[in-house]
Amino acid sequence: MDETVAEYIRRTVLKIPRDEIKAMLQKWGFLSEAQLETVNFRQIKENISQDVVQLCEENSADIKQAAVLDIIYNHIYPNKRVWSVYKMNKTGEETEVFELAEFKTKFKRRLRSALKNVTINFKEYEDNAIWIRIAWGTPYRTPNQYKPSYAVYHSQTPYVFISTSVFKSNLPLLCQALVVASNYHDIREMELRSHSLNSLKDIVFKRFSQNFQSYCPKPLQGRKVAPDTVDLRIVEENRSEKERIQRLNREAFGDGPQPKIEFAQYKLETMFKSDPKMNVLDKKEPFRCLVKFSSPHLLESLKSLAPAGMADAPLSPLLTCIPQKARNYFKIREKKGVLPESFVSP
Amino acid sequence: GVFAHLELLEAQAYKAAVKQEESEQQKEKLAGLRARVQELRLQRDDLRAKLDLQQKGQLGKEGVVSDPAQPSPRAVVEWKIKNLMSMLQVFYLTGISGKLTKRGVCFCISTAYEGTYLDSYHLDLLTKPEVQIYRHSLPVFIPLQQIAKKYLQTDIRRFLAVLSDHLNAYVGRRYQADQLQEHFSEQIEGTLQRNSLCNLLVFNYNVSSTSKTFPFHARLLYRDLCCSLPTEVDVSCASDAPAALAEMAAAHVGLFRRMALHKAFSSFSSAGESMD
Repeated sequence: MDETVAEYIRRTVLKIPRDEIKAMLQKWGFLSEAQLETVNFRQIKENISQDVVQLCEENSADIKQAAVLDIIYNHIYPNKRVWSVYKMNKTGEETEVFELAEFKTKFKRRLRSALKNVTINFKEYEDNAIWIRIAWGTPYRTPNQYKPSYAVYHSQTPYVFISTSVFKSNLPLLCQALVVASNYHDIREMELRSHSLNSLKDIVFKRFSQNFQSYCPKPLQGRKVAPDTVDLRIVEENRSEKERIQRLNREAFGDGPQPKIEFAQYKLETMFKSDPKMNVLDKKEPFRCLVKFSSPHLLESLKSLAPAGMADAPLSPLLTCIPQKARNYFKIREKKGVLPESFVSP
Repeated sequence: GVFAHLELLEAQAYKAAVKQEESEQQKEKLAGLRARVQELRLQRDDLRAKLDLQQKGQLGKEGVVSDPAQPSPRAVVEWKIKNLMSMLQVFYLTGISGKLTKRGVCFCISTAYEGTYLDSYHLDLLTKPEVQIYRHSLPVFIPLQQIAKKYLQTDIRRFLAVLSDHLNAYVGRRYQADQLQEHFSEQIEGTLQRNSLCNLLVFNYNVSSTSKTFPFHARLLYRDLCCSLPTEVDVSCASDAPAALAEMAAAHVGLFRRMALHKAFSSFSSAGESMD
């Protein structure tokens, strides 16, 4: 077994939390149950990884299997990376039949024709997600296995979720290969980024809860839970106001859990509006300003602002449109017209 | 001396002035509250009169206080609500229901396959200045834009019908594939390969009889996205297999073309065809 492969497997195993190592190796399926039984998973990770490398040596692992283990690790812990969403366009009307084997062949062929030294691996999952791992090299150097890029593609959808390595220069190659393999025409980056891959999927696949008005019989959630002991001396003075806020909040955010994004960024290129007598900024240039909201869970915290009394309901549509518009990076420019109102650029 | 005395008098005067101001304020407050009490009393009387009128009105022309044969107002309301809910349930069960919204209409397409109700999808439409889709919860691989381009502006009924066909067929195909994986997993070799629309299924399966198992490879293509049965079926067995096996493969092709996937499987599993 190649030294570099051994080292790579060793380092990958070290990344895994100790209690998860056995389960992940089982998912990998490269080592037999009998072999796994010989490893003591209670010792320190250093020793576990050495034992695992030893077993891989017995089975003559190559970079392909090692790459699959890496994919499995990233599939279970995708939140350690930042994912960006890309959207592909096609002008044709015919629905092509998507064949996995064809996709893989086309992708590999396209990428390899541009760059000889790449390692490409695929793994398909039950939810129709195809995980692609690409390790990049140069014409003179073998691929760097420690800085791979990942692309997650769901067949027959125009969306690809990409987590790049440091080598951003390879991104156009990756995009081209994806477009060719999936029979689309072009691809562009959406202004949507987050650590939580599943939340990004929820947003573009419209799996998050939107509050649709319908007569559909939905299971009624017990919104008003009568407390066990009602102290009649306590009177809620602001009940109607509270109910109004609840209603507006539900209209804006829906009932279910919100997709998890960590920040929203608004780039303002608007004119500073002031009293002309104040004489601030003689030059009529747009005032440049960047507003960034960040939070471990931005949408949930926005949802709780109005009920907590920290903001007026309804919240600004610039904040509530994030899942709807599938973006969290905005550019706000001056609207060119009679009324100098600002508008959000597409 | 004199100044001390003057100071004392000044202090007293000040105290007296403050007291007077306080008592004036209290008087004002009292007057205000009295007026409010009057107002509330008037409101109360008003409501009481209304209530009396309503109760009198329901007694009917006979003027009997309570007629056991006539249902109480509460029962009437409850019956009305029950009726409405059943009506809405009926609309929901037909598959397409809608509700007018402030700016347009929100449709709910509920799907089903052979008696099992599956997912519901929503479509929020705006009607001004022209009919457009505001938001929806349709899966992204359903060709919504294509269908909308064709029918949304001209024939909304057709638009909904076509969309409903696509959705029902999709969930039907998905349901069949799920059923296959759930109930016939022992017969499937390896993984069932499918795609998002579930319109291409590729898998290997076994048919066992007596003591032998015979492997087959199947490829089902559903070119018609509004159909939950495949348009092209390929079933093949090993190249060196006996002729009888090839016949079986051909028979299976017919089965897969005609009936639901999981039903086809249960038909040849239970038949227990024997091979000599």
